[in-house]
Amino acid sequence: MATPHKEQPRLQQLRQFVIEAKWFTQETWIGIGLVVPATLMMTVIIVYPTVRAIWISFHSRSFLQLDQVQWVGLANYQQLLEDPVFSQALLQTVFLTVGAVVTMYLLGLGLALLLKENLPGLGPLRSISMVSWVIPPVVIVIIWSWMLEADYGLVNLISQMFGGPNRSWFGTQAWALPLVTMLRVWKDTPFVAIALMASMQSIPEEYYEAAEIDGAGRLQKFRHITLPNIAYISMIMIVIETIAAFNSFQMIYIATGGGPVNRTEVLGTYVYQQAFQEYALGYASAVGTVMLVLLTIFTVVYIKLEDTE
Amino acid sequence: MAAPSKTVQDGRTGIVGRFDAFIGEDNSIKHALGVYGALTLYFIWFLVPILWLALSTIKPGSIIQADELIIIPSIEQITFANYEMVLTNPQFQTMFFNSIVISVSTTILTLIAGVLGAYSLSRFSYPGRKSLLIAFMATKMLPPALILIPFFIMMYTLNLVNSYTGIILAHCVRALPLALWLLKGFFDDIPEALDEAARIDGCSHLKVLYHVIVPLAKPGIAVAAFYTFVTSWNDFLFVSILSQGDSTRTLPFGLYLFQSANTVNWGATLTAATLTAIPSIVFFALVQKYIVKGLASGGMHGS
Repeated sequence: MATPHKEQPRLQQLRQFVIEAKWFTQETWIGIGLVVPATLMMTVIIVYPTVRAIWISFHSRSFLQLDQVQWVGLANYQQLLEDPVFSQALLQTVFLTVGAVVTMYLLGLGLALLLKENLPGLGPLRSISMVSWVIPPVVIVIIWSWMLEADYGLVNLISQMFGGPNRSWFGTQAWALPLVTMLRVWKDTPFVAIALMASMQSIPEEYYEAAEIDGAGRLQKFRHITLPNIAYISMIMIVIETIAAFNSFQMIYIATGGGPVNRTEVLGTYVYQQAFQEYALGYASAVGTVMLVLLTIFTVVYIKLEDTE
Repeated sequence: MAAPSKTVQDGRTGIVGRFDAFIGEDNSIKHALGVYGALTLYFIWFLVPILWLALSTIKPGSIIQADELIIIPSIEQITFANYEMVLTNPQFQTMFFNSIVISVSTTILTLIAGVLGAYSLSRFSYPGRKSLLIAFMATKMLPPALILIPFFIMMYTLNLVNSYTGIILAHCVRALPLALWLLKGFFDDIPEALDEAARIDGCSHLKVLYHVIVPLAKPGIAVAAFYTFVTSWNDFLFVSILSQGDSTRTLPFGLYLFQSANTVNWGATLTAATLTAIPSIVFFALVQKYIVKGLASGGMHGS
């Protein structure tokens, strides 16, 4: 009753502040708590193994005797420099990456332009075109091995009808690398196309109408409206596909196993082969670490791009 | 998904109307034919292999390995023997079962971690939130072949080689970053006023998530589930290392072993391949209309 009249609001303010602070910290903790399971999984299964792999690359270690570990410093990296198969694999990885990404983007852009037309029958084609993106890579390789099979594959049957060659294409040195590149293009072009198409469809129709009033033709509309508006998604697609192509492993491993005579050996298959067939864990990790360093450049570009959104 | 149809404006509907509207607008049937022509060329390269695969599964061995071109077998020649052989093969059944168990568990586990994480990243602010989001995406870029080596050693030490657990964990983590981004994108689109209202009514965060966010984000959750399922169903790399016997072997790795062991029996290989592809395609057909939305909103990046 005798409490001074003035102090009450101040006390109340303080109490209010404490409640709010408590509520705020509590909220923050709940937020952090909710993201913990995902973070924990990523840390244990991705981050830790990555650091560990870099560590292993400075050691000599084999799957045959997992407990025998020997520090060898940079010896594995030195060996890389002298390994002709490694440089061949690196070169072929670059060829595959550049070849696949350029082809995929140009084809995807063309396909997006065709599929966005408002013509009857294109709706279902948009969905159907995505099928190759969903099919398991193993199945893709089986489909194409079957198409290219010597003697009774479709390609050879047709080729022979026109007096062409009949060969086992994946086993031909000159054809093997272009063919595994083609497999990547076949798989991912629809993904690029649909992403570009989605981006094209979000361009306001008024832009085109305004351009038409100014007398712009199809080509001009494409150059001055479509292209600038899909520039962002194009960059993202190119970076993503570059990273994916650079990491290529399974389709090549299944189709050719790196052969014939290393002609389709890429860094991904080389790491796998060194680790799980030669049991050279340290050396394999060194190859993988080189991949990681090269990929980091693209990752940084990718993060910068996603960040601006 | 489809561009707003121009037919709505002039009241013409149906295929003929749409065609008319298109021709009328551009005055060029040539252009339309050009579009169809170019698409035909693309789809020959794209669809012929798939159709050829599907057709081959109903052909008897004598046609499959004939050295003349028989595109469609006559009615008497059509056979389901390949399907019968594959479907009654106990090894195929085990692999199919393993694939289902692993993919479904992966999807459930990833969705739980993903929905919780995405809700946190979308609705809360705390230090490091943004870096966490970027870090999740960055892990998508690490070479899987590099991670595989220590991951295998880790699983080996924990005695998890040749167990479902190891494979499921690996698959979850492969799919999680994208699922998180995707879900966050869909959650961000839900007005925050809705969950604030529920909070004022006394709902806890989990209740808000369960009663407000999840029902509204169903399309996003469907796309995330699809992506996770396909990642797991299609995976070859982790299974090839972690699965040392029939008990955990999934279809893609089994197919690979089957193909390299039997280059002669193409009928069975092609049929098994077709059956392996079907679940992913069916799931895709169910969610495909949301996928374009996901792509447009920028959440579907990376594959």
